[in-house]
Amino acid sequence: MECVPPCSDRPGFGEETPGVPLSSGPPTPLRAQTFSSFSPSKSYSRQSSSSDTELSLTPKTGMGSGGSAGKEAGPLKVFLRQQTQSALEQRGVSSSSEAFVRTGEYPFFTLTAFPPGFLLHVGGVVSARSVKLLDRIHNPDEPETRDAWWEEIRQEIKSHAKALGCHAVVGYSESTSICEEVCILSASGTAAILSSRFMQDGPLDVEHRFEEVVSPGCGFCHIPYDELNIPFPAQLTYCYCCRRYKVPDVLFTTIDLPTEANVTGKGCLIQARLCRTKKKAQGEGNATAISNLLPFLEYELHTQLMNKLKLRGMNALFGLRIQISVGETMLLGLASATGVYLTALPSPGGIQITGKTPSDITYEQHISNMQKKINDTITKNKELYEINPPEVVEEIIGSPIPEPRQRSRLFRSHSESSDEVSELDLSHGKKDAFVLEIDDTDAVEDIHALLTDFSIPAGFYSCNTEIMPGIQNWTSAIQMFTSVRVFRLNTNLTNQGLNKIFSDLCENLLKSLYFKLRSMVPCCLCHLNFTVAIPEDELIQVAVTAVAMSFDKEQTLENGKQSGEKTLIKAITDEQLQFSLELNAETSSPNPLSSPKGLSDVGSHPSARASSVDYSSFADRCSSWIEQLKLKAHTIRRGSVKTTSSMEKASPLPEGRSRSLRSNRSYSGSSVAVVKMTPLSFIPGAKIIKYLGIINMFFIRETTSLREEGGVSGFLHTFIAEVFAMVRAHVAALGGNAVVSYSMKECVFMENPNKNQAQCLINVSGDAVIFVRESELELTSVQPQSATTQTSNGGEGT
Amino acid sequence: MSTELDVFVGNTTVLDEDVYQLWLDGHTVSDAVRIRMEAGALQECEANAEILHSDTMDQFRTFQMCERLLQSPSKVANQLLFQIPPHHQTMLIERYYEFDSVFAREVLGKKLSKGTKKDLDDISSKTGIALKCCRRQFDNFKHVFKVVEELKGPLVENIQRHFLLSDVLARDYAAIVFFANSRFETGKRKLQYLSFQDFAFCAGQLISYWTVGAVDNMMEDLNVDLEKEFLHDLKDLKVLVNDKDMLDQHKSLVCAQLRGKIKVFSEMEASFKNLSRALVNIASKLTHTKDFRDLFIDLVEKFVEPCRSDKWTIGDLRLFLKHYSSSVRMLEAFRHQVIWDRYMGVIQSCILKMYHD
Repeated sequence: MECVPPCSDRPGFGEETPGVPLSSGPPTPLRAQTFSSFSPSKSYSRQSSSSDTELSLTPKTGMGSGGSAGKEAGPLKVFLRQQTQSALEQRGVSSSSEAFVRTGEYPFFTLTAFPPGFLLHVGGVVSARSVKLLDRIHNPDEPETRDAWWEEIRQEIKSHAKALGCHAVVGYSESTSICEEVCILSASGTAAILSSRFMQDGPLDVEHRFEEVVSPGCGFCHIPYDELNIPFPAQLTYCYCCRRYKVPDVLFTTIDLPTEANVTGKGCLIQARLCRTKKKAQGEGNATAISNLLPFLEYELHTQLMNKLKLRGMNALFGLRIQISVGETMLLGLASATGVYLTALPSPGGIQITGKTPSDITYEQHISNMQKKINDTITKNKELYEINPPEVVEEIIGSPIPEPRQRSRLFRSHSESSDEVSELDLSHGKKDAFVLEIDDTDAVEDIHALLTDFSIPAGFYSCNTEIMPGIQNWTSAIQMFTSVRVFRLNTNLTNQGLNKIFSDLCENLLKSLYFKLRSMVPCCLCHLNFTVAIPEDELIQVAVTAVAMSFDKEQTLENGKQSGEKTLIKAITDEQLQFSLELNAETSSPNPLSSPKGLSDVGSHPSARASSVDYSSFADRCSSWIEQLKLKAHTIRRGSVKTTSSMEKASPLPEGRSRSLRSNRSYSGSSVAVVKMTPLSFIPGAKIIKYLGIINMFFIRETTSLREEGGVSGFLHTFIAEVFAMVRAHVAALGGNAVVSYSMKECVFMENPNKNQAQCLINVSGDAVIFVRESELELTSVQPQSATTQTSNGGEGT
Repeated sequence: MSTELDVFVGNTTVLDEDVYQLWLDGHTVSDAVRIRMEAGALQECEANAEILHSDTMDQFRTFQMCERLLQSPSKVANQLLFQIPPHHQTMLIERYYEFDSVFAREVLGKKLSKGTKKDLDDISSKTGIALKCCRRQFDNFKHVFKVVEELKGPLVENIQRHFLLSDVLARDYAAIVFFANSRFETGKRKLQYLSFQDFAFCAGQLISYWTVGAVDNMMEDLNVDLEKEFLHDLKDLKVLVNDKDMLDQHKSLVCAQLRGKIKVFSEMEASFKNLSRALVNIASKLTHTKDFRDLFIDLVEKFVEPCRSDKWTIGDLRLFLKHYSSSVRMLEAFRHQVIWDRYMGVIQSCILKMYHD
């Protein structure tokens, strides 16, 4: 498990974060926002020695020059201060995680999936952003400044988690977006309470693993915070599963759906897209302008997510990833998540539209038409995603905070309009309606976005998480793909126009994917990972990597959930990841460590040694086995001629490997082995028998004959195809037959058509593995290892 | 707003057979999109014109990138760039090498050179096949010819081995190579009624029975040259028409067999000597390159046309040729039975194939 180490050199959380005191009203209204913070280009100042660059204490002037910002900040400020207060109060409250608080340990987990029982409670999404000026770093080569920036952000994340009564952050990720000298640092994760048994040292006691979990299907939904000191306005009900604990009305998380979670129906990908124009500016002014825009951007993204979630009749988001990209003249926000209906949570209310001028009859008509459309869509979606929760009598527990109805669970700023919303009479109907007021332009956009989202074609499902709840029985047909689009925008677009273009871009890209993969239906696009960038002014780049997996519809109906659960748990726990990794280190390290023969073997693949296979990550583990290895290496030298074949002896399932490779070969009828690729951690219907190491490769490609290579599309198409081919070849050379957890981490594309030139940088990574089909595995275990297998291994291993 | 760049790359190369065909047919992207829309592609998956265009562009680009590999098909299975399932590989190769018989008919017998390539414009407008498509087919012919020209062994097998084509397609290519090598005259007006399949059949017969490879398949070089010795021996058949007794005897034997069996008996009786002379003369002149190239025109002018003007049915012709060929055995003075059978076997089936309107 990968943990971002808690910063030990910093004072514990209880102490105030250095810099601007949180409660110091006027100077930094934005900074003070409780759960999502924006620090306008201030923090570097602590490293700075020159006084004229002391930005941190003078954001007010920065905002003043920004124009309208001051006006908007007024009511927001008040609101934010309230939230701050509650957060500060919260700090004093002791919770079940007191031990963690005392020791100052706030583990960050970048993992998104956990063994059953690990997550006790999930609080919600916590995030922090900060705008920095890169040109103010005095010694850019040294990491100190940057470390300090991130440290500050992590501190903030910790405090957010703490405010939610949680002691850990799971599904944590950090990202940056840079344009010229301005940099936005973002971090987000999911506040959670983890099972203390898992956090202790020593071997895990499998017997006791599940003890703590009262009800595995709904436990994680139960609120971790004290309901009397609720840190934000929320509506709580008793859990719809166990009826014993309280649950929120909506839950947003950045993690994958826990395998044990009770889900009604199927899930779907939900995206919120937003584009905002920004004046061209330089340095400090630019940073301030961006800082001022960010809260509104996030607020609107969040509102869109909520609307779309409700429109689909769902109540929870998993795998939430909000990407903010900064360009010279615009800011781009893309939030992707997988919506599901958690059985434990209450059924979401509908969406109700109101107008500001009820006297106008045609206007009323217009509104009621829209209302009808929305209601129809909700009904249709419930059918589509098979959301038929059992009817339960509702008991709403009053929230201690006077405003009972709120838009969000994600702790975003509530602009002025939210006050008006709460004044409306919403008491009619069974559920509290989610109100959209269509008089302001934002709401018009919202509704527009709601109704323009096309419905997914029949036979398709999509999600950005590893797997789709409600779908099991995957067939072995998988298709991993990468799609990249770059759009050129016209100049002088309004916010609305820009928004529409961006939204259409994403929609069309999705539609295109469905069309291309139509031969695979029924299928699910899993792990849909969108990456947006603004490579140049007036250019928007969207890159998607995902895997399409076919499933067997008939079987789904017959076998239902049980068989699926079995497979899933198998995929995650049964693999014994740690154990396999150890084996891997063991078998791959004899070469460089002890056997001269092995050295020359590796040397024949210089690329394997140079950069791509990261053996160093195993270094720690290796050291503890060195003795063991030496023994082994000794045996190897004495007992075998071929290093590779003796390596095989150390492997637990050598026959399996050779079998799978041979069967691949005979299938393709050529010397090129088939290598599967997937962004997921598993391959359906197969068992991963060996992990061969990390593949992490950087490629840079340049052309000075762009037209001759088929233009930018031809250039990039060839390049991506070659990247795939190189990854496959590399895996095959390591003796593997698949790449799991594949991701394209970077795709930077630049062009200069006038010069007939283009450049592209791509960074991909993944884990090289050997898998065997589950059907084959049964055969293998019966068959004894023969001499012929050994020989073929020797040939293939090199 | 405009799309600057739009690509889709799958780990397993995504191929649409219908789009492939459109690409092979030499359509432009916008043409292909129109055709797909007319074929109802928009009904699938709630597509729109934009999606269809993007998909078509992607596919065309993929095919273009694959084209280099398809030119030496054995590489398709061994390359690393595209992960293509075997059944798709076979489909790609087979379709790439498929050709329009109308086009092949035009090129048949012509030298596969740059000169002919210049005529492709005319062929394209004549046949209605897109120029791009004509170029591909012509280049394929040329390419196959060049590769097998240097190889020993049976032609059809060589083509199959090197281009991984189906048996049927390999045979068609063998015919094209054979015609290009032998440079038979096929362009004359009188031969226009013959289709590519007619010629391909005749080529198959000639390859199987008259070529060097038919006798000894371990020969060096392209073994589709006709066996020189055999052609030389054919001169001996002249005795059949030069020796008056033998000719009369042959005629009476055939007439005895056919009496009452064919409708055109009297016409046959009248023209027997001319027909026989024609066939034997063709045989005896095959050593001369010029006459050899005129084989098909000679057969049509001297045999097929006279029969056709006398309104022979195909059945009459079959019976006549059967007995004409077999009666020779009963001529005691004739000593070239083996040569005769080898000659007539091929001529007989060729004439029957060519005897139609």
